[in-house]
Amino acid sequence: MIQIHVLEGAALVWSAEDAREIRERFRLVGTLVGALTRKPRQNARLGLPLQLLPEEARLLAELGAAVLVRRTETQPPAEGEELTQASLVEAYQRELEESYQEQQRLAGAERGALLAQLAERIAQGRARRREQRGEMPDTVEDSGLLDSPFVLPRGSMMVQLPTARWRPGRVEQVDWTSPSADWPHAGRPAHEARYRVFRELWGRGYYLSGGSKFGGDFLVYPGDPLRFHAHYIALCCPPEAPLPLHALVAATRLGTSVKKTLLLCSPGAGGALAFTSLQWSGLQ
Amino acid sequence: MAPAHHSLSFCSQGKFWHTMGFTEHGKQCLLPEEALYLLECGSVQLFYRDLPLSIQEAYETLLSQGTVSLPQYQVFSHLKRLGYIVLRFCPSAVPSQYERQLNLDSYCKSSGKRHHKRKRSSSPWLQGKKAKASGNPPESEGTPEKASDSCGGPSHPASEGSCLSEKSKESDPASGEGESAQVPTDAVQLGKLPSCPQSQAGDYGKAAGDSCSGTHLPRWDFTRIAFPNMASDCPHTFLPQPDERLLPENVAGREADATRWRKLVNQKREKLSRKEREQRERESRYKSSVNADREVRRCSNWQEYKELLKQRSQRRAGRRPSHLWDQPVTPLVKPYQVASAAAVLQQISVLQPSHILDGASRLQEDMEGMKIDFSVYQADAVANFKKNNPGKPYARMCVRRFDEQIPSLRAVKQLTYQSEDVPVVFALVDNGDIAFYSFKEFKLPVDVYH
Repeated sequence: MIQIHVLEGAALVWSAEDAREIRERFRLVGTLVGALTRKPRQNARLGLPLQLLPEEARLLAELGAAVLVRRTETQPPAEGEELTQASLVEAYQRELEESYQEQQRLAGAERGALLAQLAERIAQGRARRREQRGEMPDTVEDSGLLDSPFVLPRGSMMVQLPTARWRPGRVEQVDWTSPSADWPHAGRPAHEARYRVFRELWGRGYYLSGGSKFGGDFLVYPGDPLRFHAHYIALCCPPEAPLPLHALVAATRLGTSVKKTLLLCSPGAGGALAFTSLQWSGLQ
Repeated sequence: MAPAHHSLSFCSQGKFWHTMGFTEHGKQCLLPEEALYLLECGSVQLFYRDLPLSIQEAYETLLSQGTVSLPQYQVFSHLKRLGYIVLRFCPSAVPSQYERQLNLDSYCKSSGKRHHKRKRSSSPWLQGKKAKASGNPPESEGTPEKASDSCGGPSHPASEGSCLSEKSKESDPASGEGESAQVPTDAVQLGKLPSCPQSQAGDYGKAAGDSCSGTHLPRWDFTRIAFPNMASDCPHTFLPQPDERLLPENVAGREADATRWRKLVNQKREKLSRKEREQRERESRYKSSVNADREVRRCSNWQEYKELLKQRSQRRAGRRPSHLWDQPVTPLVKPYQVASAAAVLQQISVLQPSHILDGASRLQEDMEGMKIDFSVYQADAVANFKKNNPGKPYARMCVRRFDEQIPSLRAVKQLTYQSEDVPVVFALVDNGDIAFYSFKEFKLPVDVYH
């Protein structure tokens, strides 16, 4: 079961396997919003967490493939919990110590190998320096370098910063059908309209992502966004809402200038959705 | 870890302290968004109750509505990754335009430096859950300190300089040789003669006015000061002894008779160069000096002169041709009103140019919940960046969600006014996608070039 962690109305996925499954199995794209671990100080490629559109999160919950959770409020540790807290700290310290020992061992072995490789050059350098100073060559000291115990300074130890929660913390489920502080989208007419359009287009096999870059609600791709450009800009028009002509012209012009078709979606007669596509034939 | 919106950090190394963090109670602290950003970069490790926080836990603990929301953090980290220096915005730390005109901002920041290190803990906007400062922000705290300093004693160069200039004005009449010096006669009533620095400081800087307890009566009662007219048409030549109160202690005043001096004035003949003579000759054909007009000479002050001008224009108006002015349709401009085609077009223009800050100072505070969140400083300023004196930012950010209402003109004006001359950029976050929008000024092209 995929866990979607909710943070003030934003749906985040912290597990790498879950993120992969969401993309490969469910055709949902989302946006990566965290720093990429290998290269944190750049904006071209970001890393976990994966932020999902509210519509994507709701779709997964409706399909039963995911559950929306949120962190429970942390209270100061109660009586019984203090022991578990202490044992957790102890376990952590133990792990840290084990990791340190292993790193020291590995670092020492690596250093030894390096020194063995360069032993000749080191000896030559030493002899040359002794000649310059006019001393007798001392063979005993040469080998001493390799035998001195190597101590890895604590400050150079590598520590792991886990991305996802590494202890199974206390989480509780969020009901996505009723509005709450964590999930305010439920029941909002704008969200409901968008979700209908999203579900319909997703059901037809398209990939969908956020459309704010092009002035619409969704961008509709025929395949994975990494391989295709968007074909449509989907704009959800609520029923009975006026659509001024200048807004329509602006949206169509924008779509045409970026070589996409504008797709107006609204609930039509009989409850089904009606899609209207607009293309400006004169401007090529 | 301290309460939810602070992080205590015990390592003092790290290059990031140069641009991030603040000091409170002697300990170096990081703001939650800074701590989270550094954790994501792998530069720090955060501990809570002796256990390290994973990034997920840090997100959930540090980001909440009370401190920094997720969209705000996303904009913050986006800008930080690009290399900018991003600080939280503090409205009262912005020097107003008047202060900048007087060059007060650089002065107060440089002189207040010796207070900054010791006295107060910076970054007080963390005290409240909201972004409103509950304590005095560092820069404006420096201003009342400076004012109280100058209240105490004129040790600051600027106020001292102005004190000196004030005193020099007073000592001039004492010398009595005032060729052209204006001399207050003994009819002068001085309002109060309070300590010079106090009222000076009381006039400068809006924060200083509160701290100085002195009243702001003007020092001179101008209704009773009469300046003697010593020109050739009004022979007021006898100047009595100046008032004792105006003079410093050692200087004795005495009366003066300016008759002798008046005779020596205007003795030298004015010699014009050939060019100047030719120019004068050319101009005399069509130009006439205002002073040559006898009616103007009869006016003895500005009020009478303005009356004269009004009468003249009315007389001219009385000579309007009736076939033009008595019809239902009257001419748009009068012949002497405009000098170019552009001015005529100005009269019939439909769109008036307007600046974003027109009328902004009169708007009330309510800004529809929008506020400026961050000040962004250029990346190349890192070497010279000082947290206490960051200088002028490159832009100010207002973070909004994409599905929120577009700001009204009123809100935009208020934000621009709050930010003085630094452009305001709106960072719109749409579920992880960030886009930056700002308003740009431009002039509509005019068809006539003059």
